[in-house]
Amino acid sequence: MQVRWLIPMGAAAASVAQIAYATQYMSVQQAQTAAFATATEFRAVSAPDAATASALGAAAGWLPRIFQARAGDKSLGWLIVDQVIGKSELITYALALDGDGTVISVEVLDYRESHGSEIRLPAWRKQFAGKTAADASALSNGIKNISGATLSCRHLTEGVQRLLKLYKVALQPSAAEAG
Amino acid sequence: MNVSVQRARPRLGTLVAMRVEGLDEARAVAAIDAAFVEVQTVHRCMSFHESASDLSRLHAAAVGTAVEVDTRTVEVLHCALEIAELSAGCFDPTIAAQAVAWGMLPRPDSPYAPDPRANWRDIELIDGSRVRLRRPLWLDLGGIAKGHAVDRAIDVLIEAGATQAMVNAGGDLRVAGPREEIVHLRGACAAGAAGVVAIANAALASSSGLTTRKRHHGRWVGAHLQGRTRAPVGTFSSASVIAQRCMIADALTKVVLAEPALAQRVLAAYGAQVATHSARHGWRGMGIAA
Repeated sequence: MQVRWLIPMGAAAASVAQIAYATQYMSVQQAQTAAFATATEFRAVSAPDAATASALGAAAGWLPRIFQARAGDKSLGWLIVDQVIGKSELITYALALDGDGTVISVEVLDYRESHGSEIRLPAWRKQFAGKTAADASALSNGIKNISGATLSCRHLTEGVQRLLKLYKVALQPSAAEAG
Repeated sequence: MNVSVQRARPRLGTLVAMRVEGLDEARAVAAIDAAFVEVQTVHRCMSFHESASDLSRLHAAAVGTAVEVDTRTVEVLHCALEIAELSAGCFDPTIAAQAVAWGMLPRPDSPYAPDPRANWRDIELIDGSRVRLRRPLWLDLGGIAKGHAVDRAIDVLIEAGATQAMVNAGGDLRVAGPREEIVHLRGACAAGAAGVVAIANAALASSSGLTTRKRHHGRWVGAHLQGRTRAPVGTFSSASVIAQRCMIADALTKVVLAEPALAQRVLAAYGAQVATHSARHGWRGMGIAA
Protein backbone atom coordinates (compact mmCIF):
# COMPACT_ATOMS: atom_id res chain seq x y z
CA MET A 1 0.00 0.00 0.00
CA GLN A 2 1.48 3.32 -1.08
CA VAL A 3 -0.14 6.68 -0.28
CA ARG A 4 0.78 10.28 -1.11
CA TRP A 5 -1.63 12.98 0.03
CA LEU A 6 -1.57 15.85 -2.43
CA ILE A 7 -3.02 19.30 -2.54
CA PRO A 8 -6.58 20.42 -3.09
CA MET A 9 -7.19 21.07 -6.77
CA GLY A 10 -6.54 24.61 -7.86
CA ALA A 11 -5.02 25.60 -4.53
CA ALA A 12 -2.45 27.76 -6.19
CA ALA A 13 -4.93 29.39 -8.53
CA ALA A 14 -8.32 30.98 -8.08
CA SER A 15 -10.51 30.42 -5.08
CA VAL A 16 -13.06 28.64 -7.20
CA ALA A 17 -11.82 25.92 -9.52
CA GLN A 18 -13.83 23.95 -12.03
CA ILE A 19 -13.20 20.25 -11.72
CA ALA A 20 -14.03 18.13 -14.70
CA TYR A 21 -13.95 14.41 -14.78
CA ALA A 22 -14.65 12.59 -18.00
CA THR A 23 -14.14 9.07 -19.26
CA GLN A 24 -15.01 7.49 -22.55
CA TYR A 25 -15.63 3.79 -22.05
CA MET A 26 -16.90 2.61 -25.42
CA SER A 27 -17.85 3.99 -28.81
CA VAL A 28 -21.32 3.37 -30.22
CA GLN A 29 -19.77 0.92 -32.65
CA GLN A 30 -18.00 -1.01 -29.89
CA ALA A 31 -21.28 -1.25 -27.97
CA GLN A 32 -23.04 -2.51 -31.10
CA THR A 33 -20.57 -5.31 -31.78
CA ALA A 34 -20.23 -6.22 -28.08
CA ALA A 35 -23.99 -6.81 -27.84
CA PHE A 36 -24.53 -8.30 -31.32
CA ALA A 37 -21.37 -10.09 -32.45
CA THR A 38 -23.12 -11.76 -35.41
CA ALA A 39 -24.87 -8.68 -36.78
CA THR A 40 -24.08 -7.66 -40.35
CA GLU A 41 -25.90 -4.35 -40.21
CA PHE A 42 -27.07 -1.77 -37.67
CA ARG A 43 -29.93 0.02 -39.31
CA ALA A 44 -30.74 3.46 -37.90
CA VAL A 45 -34.38 3.89 -36.95
CA SER A 46 -35.95 7.33 -36.62
CA ALA A 47 -36.22 8.79 -33.14
CA PRO A 48 -39.60 8.91 -31.39
CA ASP A 49 -41.80 11.88 -32.28
CA ALA A 50 -42.52 14.64 -29.79
CA ALA A 51 -45.89 13.17 -28.76
CA THR A 52 -44.36 9.78 -27.94
CA ALA A 53 -41.48 11.41 -26.07
CA SER A 54 -43.85 13.50 -24.03
CA ALA A 55 -46.08 10.49 -23.27
CA LEU A 56 -43.00 8.72 -21.88
CA GLY A 57 -42.25 11.67 -19.62
CA ALA A 58 -39.05 12.62 -21.42
CA ALA A 59 -37.62 16.13 -21.31
CA ALA A 60 -38.01 18.35 -24.36
CA GLY A 61 -35.44 17.58 -27.02
CA TRP A 62 -35.06 13.93 -26.04
CA LEU A 63 -33.31 12.25 -28.93
CA PRO A 64 -32.34 8.63 -28.33
CA ARG A 65 -30.45 7.03 -31.23
CA ILE A 66 -32.07 3.73 -32.17
CA PHE A 67 -30.42 0.95 -34.20
CA GLN A 68 -31.91 -2.31 -35.33
CA ALA A 69 -29.28 -5.09 -35.28
CA ARG A 70 -29.70 -7.31 -38.31
CA ALA A 71 -28.09 -10.41 -39.76
CA GLY A 72 -29.19 -10.37 -43.37
CA ASP A 73 -33.01 -10.18 -43.31
CA LYS A 74 -33.26 -11.28 -39.71
CA SER A 75 -33.71 -8.84 -36.86
CA LEU A 76 -31.49 -9.70 -33.86
CA GLY A 77 -32.64 -6.91 -31.57
CA TRP A 78 -32.10 -3.28 -30.79
CA LEU A 79 -29.39 -0.97 -29.51
CA ILE A 80 -30.54 2.36 -28.14
CA VAL A 81 -28.09 5.12 -27.23
CA ASP A 82 -29.39 7.71 -24.81
CA GLN A 83 -28.20 10.35 -22.35
CA VAL A 84 -29.20 11.08 -18.77
CA ILE A 85 -28.35 14.21 -16.84
CA GLY A 86 -27.94 14.22 -13.08
CA LYS A 87 -27.10 17.03 -10.68
CA SER A 88 -23.55 17.30 -11.95
CA GLU A 89 -23.12 14.33 -14.23
CA LEU A 90 -23.92 13.53 -17.85
CA ILE A 91 -24.02 9.86 -18.79
CA THR A 92 -24.28 8.49 -22.32
CA TYR A 93 -25.22 4.84 -22.31
CA ALA A 94 -26.33 2.04 -24.61
CA LEU A 95 -29.16 -0.37 -23.91
CA ALA A 96 -29.15 -3.58 -25.94
CA LEU A 97 -32.40 -5.56 -26.26
CA ASP A 98 -32.96 -8.89 -27.98
CA GLY A 99 -35.86 -9.47 -30.39
CA ASP A 100 -38.26 -10.06 -27.48
CA GLY A 101 -37.31 -6.88 -25.68
CA THR A 102 -35.22 -8.66 -23.03
CA VAL A 103 -32.24 -6.65 -21.79
CA ILE A 104 -28.93 -8.02 -23.07
CA SER A 105 -26.74 -5.32 -21.54
CA VAL A 106 -26.48 -1.76 -20.30
CA GLU A 107 -23.10 -0.20 -21.02
CA VAL A 108 -21.94 3.30 -20.16
CA LEU A 109 -20.31 4.87 -23.22
CA ASP A 110 -19.36 8.22 -21.79
CA TYR A 111 -19.34 9.70 -18.29
CA ARG A 112 -18.83 13.36 -17.48
CA GLU A 113 -18.95 15.07 -14.15
CA SER A 114 -18.15 18.65 -13.38
CA HIS A 115 -18.73 21.01 -10.55
CA GLY A 116 -17.27 24.13 -9.09
CA SER A 117 -14.89 23.55 -6.23
CA GLU A 118 -14.23 26.11 -3.58
CA ILE A 119 -10.65 26.11 -2.42
CA ARG A 120 -10.34 28.56 0.45
CA LEU A 121 -8.57 26.44 2.99
CA PRO A 122 -5.20 28.08 3.71
CA ALA A 123 -4.64 26.16 6.96
CA TRP A 124 -5.08 22.84 5.25
CA ARG A 125 -3.00 23.92 2.26
CA LYS A 126 -0.11 24.97 4.45
CA GLN A 127 0.56 21.38 5.48
CA PHE A 128 1.40 20.67 1.88
CA ALA A 129 3.55 23.68 1.14
CA GLY A 130 6.24 22.80 -1.34
CA LYS A 131 4.28 20.04 -3.01
CA THR A 132 2.01 22.41 -4.88
CA ALA A 133 4.13 23.33 -7.88
CA ALA A 134 5.54 19.86 -8.43
CA ASP A 135 2.17 18.19 -8.44
CA ALA A 136 0.10 20.84 -10.18
CA SER A 137 0.68 19.64 -13.72
CA ALA A 138 0.06 16.00 -12.81
CA LEU A 139 -3.20 17.01 -11.22
CA SER A 140 -4.48 19.11 -14.06
CA ASN A 141 -4.78 16.13 -16.36
CA GLY A 142 -4.39 13.13 -14.10
CA ILE A 143 -7.86 12.84 -12.61
CA LYS A 144 -9.15 9.44 -13.62
CA ASN A 145 -10.64 8.24 -10.36
CA ILE A 146 -13.12 9.95 -8.14
CA SER A 147 -14.40 9.21 -4.66
CA GLY A 148 -16.97 10.83 -2.40
CA ALA A 149 -20.42 10.10 -1.08
CA THR A 150 -21.64 7.21 -3.21
CA LEU A 151 -23.36 8.45 -6.34
CA SER A 152 -26.77 7.05 -7.01
CA CYS A 153 -27.43 5.63 -10.47
CA ARG A 154 -31.10 6.57 -10.17
CA HIS A 155 -31.08 8.70 -13.33
CA LEU A 156 -29.55 5.88 -15.32
CA THR A 157 -32.11 3.39 -13.99
CA GLU A 158 -34.94 5.78 -14.88
CA GLY A 159 -33.44 6.26 -18.35
CA VAL A 160 -33.35 2.50 -18.95
CA GLN A 161 -36.95 2.20 -17.80
CA ARG A 162 -38.02 4.92 -20.23
CA LEU A 163 -36.28 3.10 -23.09
CA LEU A 164 -38.05 -0.14 -22.17
CA LYS A 165 -41.36 1.71 -22.42
CA LEU A 166 -40.23 3.19 -25.73
CA TYR A 167 -39.56 -0.35 -26.96
CA LYS A 168 -43.11 -1.37 -26.00
CA VAL A 169 -44.84 1.52 -27.75
CA ALA A 170 -42.60 1.92 -30.79
CA LEU A 171 -40.29 -1.02 -31.51
CA GLN A 172 -41.92 -4.27 -30.41
CA PRO A 173 -43.27 -6.15 -33.48
CA SER A 174 -46.96 -5.82 -32.54
CA ALA A 175 -46.53 -2.07 -32.03
CA ALA A 176 -44.81 -1.71 -35.40
CA GLU A 177 -47.63 -3.56 -37.13
CA ALA A 178 -50.29 -1.57 -35.33
CA GLY A 179 -48.51 1.66 -36.22
CA MET B 1 -1.35 -5.46 -28.57
CA ASN B 2 -1.77 -4.48 -24.94
CA VAL B 3 -4.26 -1.72 -24.38
CA SER B 4 -6.15 -0.06 -21.59
CA VAL B 5 -9.76 -1.22 -21.57
CA GLN B 6 -12.46 0.44 -19.45
CA ARG B 7 -16.08 -0.45 -18.88
CA ALA B 8 -18.79 0.95 -16.62
CA ARG B 9 -22.14 -0.60 -15.81
CA PRO B 10 -24.92 0.13 -13.32
CA ARG B 11 -24.42 -2.33 -10.44
CA LEU B 12 -24.74 -2.34 -6.63
CA GLY B 13 -27.11 0.63 -6.84
CA THR B 14 -24.37 2.78 -8.31
CA LEU B 15 -22.08 2.94 -11.30
CA VAL B 16 -19.27 0.37 -11.22
CA ALA B 17 -16.28 1.21 -13.42
CA MET B 18 -13.33 -1.07 -14.17
CA ARG B 19 -10.07 -0.58 -16.02
CA VAL B 20 -7.40 -3.14 -16.94
CA GLU B 21 -4.02 -2.81 -18.57
CA GLY B 22 -1.48 -5.37 -19.75
CA LEU B 23 -3.85 -7.64 -21.67
CA ASP B 24 -4.88 -7.72 -25.31
CA GLU B 25 -8.34 -6.33 -25.92
CA ALA B 26 -10.25 -9.62 -26.12
CA ARG B 27 -8.73 -10.92 -22.88
CA ALA B 28 -9.22 -7.58 -21.18
CA VAL B 29 -12.92 -7.53 -22.10
CA ALA B 30 -13.31 -11.16 -20.94
CA ALA B 31 -11.59 -10.36 -17.62
CA ILE B 32 -13.84 -7.36 -17.04
CA ASP B 33 -16.94 -9.42 -17.89
CA ALA B 34 -15.85 -12.07 -15.36
CA ALA B 35 -15.21 -9.41 -12.73
CA PHE B 36 -18.71 -7.97 -13.28
CA VAL B 37 -20.14 -11.48 -12.80
CA GLU B 38 -18.31 -11.67 -9.45
CA VAL B 39 -19.70 -8.25 -8.44
CA GLN B 40 -23.18 -9.47 -9.27
CA THR B 41 -22.65 -12.63 -7.19
CA VAL B 42 -21.63 -10.57 -4.16
CA HIS B 43 -24.72 -8.43 -4.71
CA ARG B 44 -26.97 -11.48 -4.97
CA CYS B 45 -25.60 -12.87 -1.70
CA MET B 46 -25.67 -9.70 0.37
CA SER B 47 -28.47 -7.54 -1.02
CA PHE B 48 -30.95 -6.27 1.56
CA HIS B 49 -33.61 -5.88 -1.13
CA GLU B 50 -33.46 -9.16 -3.08
CA SER B 51 -35.68 -11.86 -1.60
CA ALA B 52 -33.33 -14.73 -2.52
CA SER B 53 -30.20 -13.18 -0.98
CA ASP B 54 -28.43 -14.78 2.00
CA LEU B 55 -29.46 -11.76 4.04
CA SER B 56 -33.15 -12.12 3.14
CA ARG B 57 -33.05 -15.85 3.92
CA LEU B 58 -31.54 -15.09 7.34
CA HIS B 59 -34.28 -12.53 7.97
CA ALA B 60 -36.97 -14.99 6.88
CA ALA B 61 -35.68 -17.86 9.07
CA ALA B 62 -36.77 -18.47 12.66
CA VAL B 63 -34.35 -17.07 15.23
CA GLY B 64 -31.79 -19.67 16.29
CA THR B 65 -31.92 -21.61 13.00
CA ALA B 66 -28.63 -22.34 11.25
CA VAL B 67 -28.87 -20.86 7.73
CA GLU B 68 -26.66 -22.03 4.83
CA VAL B 69 -24.99 -19.05 3.16
CA ASP B 70 -22.29 -18.38 0.57
CA THR B 71 -18.68 -18.41 1.81
CA ARG B 72 -18.46 -14.78 0.62
CA THR B 73 -21.23 -13.80 3.05
CA VAL B 74 -19.39 -15.49 5.93
CA GLU B 75 -16.19 -13.73 4.92
CA VAL B 76 -17.91 -10.33 4.98
CA LEU B 77 -19.68 -11.06 8.26
CA HIS B 78 -16.38 -12.20 9.79
CA CYS B 79 -14.76 -8.90 8.84
CA ALA B 80 -17.83 -6.95 10.04
CA LEU B 81 -17.71 -8.64 13.46
CA GLU B 82 -13.96 -8.02 13.76
CA ILE B 83 -14.44 -4.29 13.11
CA ALA B 84 -17.51 -4.20 15.37
CA GLU B 85 -15.38 -5.58 18.20
CA LEU B 86 -12.41 -3.27 17.54
CA SER B 87 -14.72 -0.24 17.37
CA ALA B 88 -16.68 -1.22 20.50
CA GLY B 89 -19.83 -1.48 18.39
CA CYS B 90 -19.57 1.89 16.59
CA PHE B 91 -19.63 -0.20 13.44
CA ASP B 92 -22.49 -2.67 13.71
CA PRO B 93 -24.05 -4.62 10.81
CA THR B 94 -27.31 -5.09 12.77
CA ILE B 95 -28.46 -1.49 12.38
CA ALA B 96 -31.03 -2.20 9.66
CA ALA B 97 -34.03 -1.92 12.02
CA GLN B 98 -33.18 1.75 12.60
CA ALA B 99 -32.66 2.40 8.89
CA VAL B 100 -36.07 0.79 8.18
CA ALA B 101 -37.69 2.97 10.86
CA TRP B 102 -36.21 6.07 9.19
CA GLY B 103 -37.44 4.94 5.79
CA MET B 104 -33.89 4.56 4.45
CA LEU B 105 -34.50 0.83 3.81
CA PRO B 106 -37.73 -1.05 3.01
CA ARG B 107 -39.15 -3.41 5.64
CA PRO B 108 -37.79 -6.90 4.89
CA ASP B 109 -39.98 -9.97 4.62
CA SER B 110 -39.40 -11.31 8.11
CA PRO B 111 -41.58 -13.24 10.61
CA TYR B 112 -40.36 -11.17 13.56
CA ALA B 113 -39.84 -7.59 14.68
CA PRO B 114 -36.21 -6.89 15.60
CA ASP B 115 -35.26 -6.89 19.27
CA PRO B 116 -34.04 -3.37 20.16
CA ARG B 117 -31.36 -4.93 22.39
CA ALA B 118 -29.95 -7.02 19.52
CA ASN B 119 -26.46 -6.15 18.28
CA TRP B 120 -23.47 -7.63 16.46
CA ARG B 121 -22.80 -10.07 19.32
CA ASP B 122 -26.02 -11.87 18.37
CA ILE B 123 -24.56 -13.04 15.04
CA GLU B 124 -23.00 -16.47 15.29
CA LEU B 125 -20.73 -17.77 12.54
CA ILE B 126 -21.05 -21.52 13.00
CA ASP B 127 -18.56 -22.47 10.29
CA GLY B 128 -17.48 -21.37 6.82
CA SER B 129 -20.98 -21.63 5.38
CA ARG B 130 -23.53 -21.42 8.20
CA VAL B 131 -24.81 -18.48 10.21
CA ARG B 132 -27.22 -18.27 13.14
CA LEU B 133 -28.94 -15.22 14.64
CA ARG B 134 -29.34 -15.48 18.42
CA ARG B 135 -31.89 -12.67 18.66
CA PRO B 136 -34.40 -11.28 16.18
CA LEU B 137 -32.45 -8.70 14.14
CA TRP B 138 -32.05 -7.35 10.63
CA LEU B 139 -28.64 -7.14 9.00
CA ASP B 140 -27.47 -4.43 6.64
CA LEU B 141 -24.15 -5.15 4.95
CA GLY B 142 -24.40 -2.05 2.74
CA GLY B 143 -21.55 -0.53 4.72
CA ILE B 144 -19.06 -3.22 3.80
CA ALA B 145 -20.28 -5.54 1.03
CA LYS B 146 -19.66 -3.00 -1.72
CA GLY B 147 -16.02 -2.86 -0.67
CA HIS B 148 -15.88 -6.64 -0.74
CA ALA B 149 -17.32 -6.67 -4.27
CA VAL B 150 -14.52 -4.30 -5.33
CA ASP B 151 -11.89 -6.56 -3.74
CA ARG B 152 -13.27 -9.67 -5.47
CA ALA B 153 -13.37 -7.87 -8.83
CA ILE B 154 -9.73 -6.77 -8.43
CA ASP B 155 -8.77 -10.40 -7.64
CA VAL B 156 -10.47 -11.58 -10.83
CA LEU B 157 -8.71 -8.92 -12.96
CA ILE B 158 -5.26 -9.65 -11.49
CA GLU B 159 -5.73 -13.43 -11.80
CA ALA B 160 -6.60 -12.86 -15.46
CA GLY B 161 -3.14 -11.33 -15.93
CA ALA B 162 -3.77 -7.59 -15.71
CA THR B 163 -0.63 -5.65 -14.81
CA GLN B 164 -2.57 -2.59 -13.66
CA ALA B 165 -6.22 -2.60 -12.64
CA MET B 166 -8.79 -0.27 -11.11
CA VAL B 167 -12.30 -0.95 -9.86
CA ASN B 168 -14.49 1.93 -8.68
CA ALA B 169 -17.96 1.23 -7.29
CA GLY B 170 -19.42 4.72 -7.08
CA GLY B 171 -16.48 6.05 -5.08
CA ASP B 172 -15.36 2.93 -3.22
CA LEU B 173 -12.35 1.93 -5.24
CA ARG B 174 -9.15 -0.09 -5.35
CA VAL B 175 -6.13 0.11 -7.58
CA ALA B 176 -3.68 -2.73 -8.17
CA GLY B 177 -0.37 -2.63 -10.00
CA PRO B 178 2.91 -0.79 -9.72
CA ARG B 179 1.73 2.56 -11.06
CA GLU B 180 0.47 5.24 -8.72
CA GLU B 181 -3.03 6.53 -9.53
CA ILE B 182 -4.49 9.87 -8.61
CA VAL B 183 -7.85 9.93 -6.87
CA HIS B 184 -9.96 13.03 -6.50
CA LEU B 185 -11.98 13.27 -3.29
CA ARG B 186 -15.30 15.03 -3.39
CA GLY B 187 -15.91 17.04 -0.24
CA ALA B 188 -18.99 17.23 1.91
CA CYS B 189 -20.27 20.67 0.99
CA ALA B 190 -22.29 21.49 -2.08
CA ALA B 191 -19.41 23.36 -3.69
CA GLY B 192 -17.37 20.19 -3.37
CA ALA B 193 -13.94 21.35 -2.21
CA ALA B 194 -11.58 18.77 -3.58
CA GLY B 195 -8.89 16.72 -1.96
CA VAL B 196 -6.41 14.78 -4.03
CA VAL B 197 -4.40 11.69 -3.16
CA ALA B 198 -2.10 9.39 -5.12
CA ILE B 199 -2.24 5.69 -4.27
CA ALA B 200 -0.76 2.42 -5.50
CA ASN B 201 -1.89 -1.08 -4.47
CA ALA B 202 -4.42 0.40 -2.13
CA ALA B 203 -8.14 0.89 -1.66
CA LEU B 204 -10.01 4.08 -0.92
CA ALA B 205 -13.60 4.37 0.25
CA SER B 206 -15.69 7.41 1.10
CA SER B 207 -18.92 7.70 3.01
CA SER B 208 -21.23 10.60 3.69
CA GLY B 209 -24.84 10.85 4.70
CA LEU B 210 -24.98 14.22 2.98
CA THR B 211 -26.53 13.17 -0.32
CA THR B 212 -29.17 10.89 1.20
CA ARG B 213 -30.04 12.87 4.34
CA LYS B 214 -33.62 13.86 5.11
CA ARG B 215 -35.68 15.22 8.00
CA HIS B 216 -37.26 12.60 10.25
CA HIS B 217 -39.23 13.68 13.35
CA GLY B 218 -37.44 17.00 13.47
CA ARG B 219 -33.84 15.86 12.99
CA TRP B 220 -31.54 14.99 10.11
CA VAL B 221 -31.09 11.29 9.41
CA GLY B 222 -29.08 9.62 6.66
CA ALA B 223 -27.60 6.41 5.38
CA HIS B 224 -25.13 6.10 8.28
CA LEU B 225 -25.51 5.76 12.00
CA GLN B 226 -23.46 5.12 15.12
CA GLY B 227 -23.84 1.42 15.89
CA ARG B 228 -23.92 1.66 19.67
CA THR B 229 -26.24 4.65 20.11
CA ARG B 230 -28.08 4.23 16.79
CA ALA B 231 -27.88 8.00 16.29
CA PRO B 232 -27.50 9.39 12.75
CA VAL B 233 -23.95 10.38 11.76
CA GLY B 234 -22.30 11.98 8.76
CA THR B 235 -25.30 14.02 7.67
CA PHE B 236 -23.02 17.07 7.30
CA SER B 237 -19.62 15.47 6.79
CA SER B 238 -17.77 12.91 4.72
CA ALA B 239 -14.93 10.52 5.52
CA SER B 240 -12.44 8.90 3.15
CA VAL B 241 -10.29 6.00 4.31
CA ILE B 242 -7.35 4.37 2.56
CA ALA B 243 -6.57 0.76 3.44
CA GLN B 244 -5.11 -2.29 1.79
CA ARG B 245 -8.53 -3.81 1.09
CA CYS B 246 -11.66 -1.94 0.00
CA MET B 247 -13.87 -3.92 2.40
CA ILE B 248 -11.81 -2.59 5.33
CA ALA B 249 -11.72 0.96 3.96
CA ASP B 250 -15.49 0.91 3.37
CA ALA B 251 -16.29 -0.27 6.92
CA LEU B 252 -13.78 2.10 8.56
CA THR B 253 -15.39 5.17 6.98
CA LYS B 254 -18.43 4.42 9.16
CA VAL B 255 -16.27 4.23 12.31
CA VAL B 256 -14.67 7.57 11.45
CA LEU B 257 -18.08 9.21 10.91
CA ALA B 258 -19.41 7.67 14.15
CA GLU B 259 -16.53 8.41 16.50
CA PRO B 260 -13.41 10.08 15.11
CA ALA B 261 -11.37 9.78 18.32
CA LEU B 262 -11.94 6.07 18.75
CA ALA B 263 -11.43 5.55 15.03
CA GLN B 264 -7.72 6.40 15.46
CA ARG B 265 -7.11 3.08 17.19
CA VAL B 266 -9.10 1.05 14.68
CA LEU B 267 -7.41 2.74 11.73
CA ALA B 268 -4.01 1.99 13.26
CA ALA B 269 -4.94 -1.68 13.67
CA TYR B 270 -5.36 -1.92 9.88
CA GLY B 271 -2.59 0.51 8.92
CA ALA B 272 -5.29 2.70 7.39
CA GLN B 273 -5.25 6.43 6.71
CA VAL B 274 -8.09 8.93 6.79
CA ALA B 275 -9.30 12.32 5.62
CA THR B 276 -12.55 13.90 6.71
CA HIS B 277 -14.36 16.88 5.29
CA SER B 278 -17.15 19.04 6.64
CA ALA B 279 -18.47 22.42 5.57
CA ARG B 280 -17.55 23.84 8.99
CA HIS B 281 -14.00 22.48 9.35
CA GLY B 282 -12.99 21.81 5.75
CA TRP B 283 -10.49 19.01 5.28
CA ARG B 284 -8.93 17.31 8.28
CA GLY B 285 -6.66 14.38 8.77
CA MET B 286 -4.92 13.48 5.53
CA GLY B 287 -2.84 10.66 6.89
CA ILE B 288 -3.48 11.05 10.57
CA ALA B 289 -6.95 10.63 12.02
CA ALA B 290 -8.33 14.00 13.13
